[in-house]
Amino acid sequence: MCDILAISAGYNYTPGKYLPIFAEKGKENINGWGIGFFREDKALVEKSPEQVFSDRQVHESFQRLARVIDSRIIISHVNCPKSGGHHSTHLHPFKFTFLDHDWLFAHVGVVENIDAYQTTETPRLEVDVYTARIFEYLRDQLVLLHRKNPYISVYIALRIAIQELLDDYPGDYSFFLANESFVFAFCNYRQLMVLKESESMGDIMLITTVEEGLSRTDWHPIVPDPQSQGELLVIAGPDVLYAEEV
Amino acid sequence: MCDLFALSATKDYSAPEFLPIFAVQAKTNMDGWGIGFFRKHHAVVEKSAEKIFHAGQLHDSFQRLARVVRSKVIICHIRFRTSGLLDECHAHPFVLKFGGYDWIFAHNGKAPDIESYRSCGAVIEDAISDSARTFEYLRDHMEDHHRSDSKPEKLFNILADSTSKMIDQYPGEYNFLLSNGHLLFAFTNHRQFMFMKGSKTLKGAFLLTTLARGLTTEKWLRVAKATNRKGLLLAISGNDVILHKSI
Repeated sequence: MCDILAISAGYNYTPGKYLPIFAEKGKENINGWGIGFFREDKALVEKSPEQVFSDRQVHESFQRLARVIDSRIIISHVNCPKSGGHHSTHLHPFKFTFLDHDWLFAHVGVVENIDAYQTTETPRLEVDVYTARIFEYLRDQLVLLHRKNPYISVYIALRIAIQELLDDYPGDYSFFLANESFVFAFCNYRQLMVLKESESMGDIMLITTVEEGLSRTDWHPIVPDPQSQGELLVIAGPDVLYAEEV
Repeated sequence: MCDLFALSATKDYSAPEFLPIFAVQAKTNMDGWGIGFFRKHHAVVEKSAEKIFHAGQLHDSFQRLARVVRSKVIICHIRFRTSGLLDECHAHPFVLKFGGYDWIFAHNGKAPDIESYRSCGAVIEDAISDSARTFEYLRDHMEDHHRSDSKPEKLFNILADSTSKMIDQYPGEYNFLLSNGHLLFAFTNHRQFMFMKGSKTLKGAFLLTTLARGLTTEKWLRVAKATNRKGLLLAISGNDVILHKSI
């Protein structure tokens, strides 16, 4: 099973502590890894088709990146065979520019039939993995809703987009969608684990699909209500700003 | 009636055009002014009890600050005294530290009932006004939530709940701006907020004011509370409204 991690801080944070732990916890995901972050509001992604953890070692480049990245928002994904091919272009996070922001997207879960989705906007992500189609679908809906109402709140727009997505392409979704200022986290099947942690520079918020969290501290589970379509959170700086069932 | 202005952007911004336009349009408020912003996550406030506009000129310091202040969030208040003394201590914005942040607060409206509120925590020194007590009330109730919640609290819900309780306990007119440097919250239960995103002259920033016609000839959006609700709360990050909900 793939895993995802998002870190959100109120200042540029270097994830030297938590990214390697995440890699070790996700070591069964042997089909590559990706790290997305922001530099001066531009999204950057580093990915590799190599194992994130082998011979009891975190991948060397992954370790080095963890020591060097400096960003308010960081998203990482470790890949299992279910998520698609082994080529690094197939790996998450993906990035797009729309609505005046660079956005990063990483997903875990299985969604049938969405491979056939044809985006109505440009550009298209030129990779044949269904996560790319999910990202295009959400982008298309957000752009459409924003065209209809430029002042629609981003949370409400994304909630509508997710409702449409679940109607059109039912499936198992846990994803992060982030721009340089805030992170959306959605889950409708696996729980997300959340921790607000104090660091020397200030608090950070961690959110991951890793079942037991990344440390022995008290991680809080966000469990989607089986009666609902899922739970959507928005995180700004080190705080959960808002969370509601979709 | 006092007036409020806020700028929120994804990166540090100056507002050398908009702050003077705001000041000129709000010049009938003769009882002081203040500008609050963040530098390296610390709140900085410059304020004065002097008239914003005198002898056909904007206050010299205000003009200079407008050119120099640079921050992701800038909050400006032009005062028309309805509560408290006419001095610098009573000019807005105010600053309090809680929940790991410096918070900047500015208020517009009349809420005389809340002047009787007495906080158990640190108070805004020398300020005896509805605005100072409003800020202390919100701080106290947000901290209470923080202490009682074992799960990560939801900041929007906490502020919405605290504001709702405040209006029940101390009915009044409350338009306020509250920011921790990452997020800008705006609440209204009287008059309106006018906002503008993607102004041609200030691309990438979000602007908000209580002035009924906005600050430019561009199309500003008016938001106000629904008649059957207590008020409207907005959360803004960078140049986006993340969420707005009626309370």
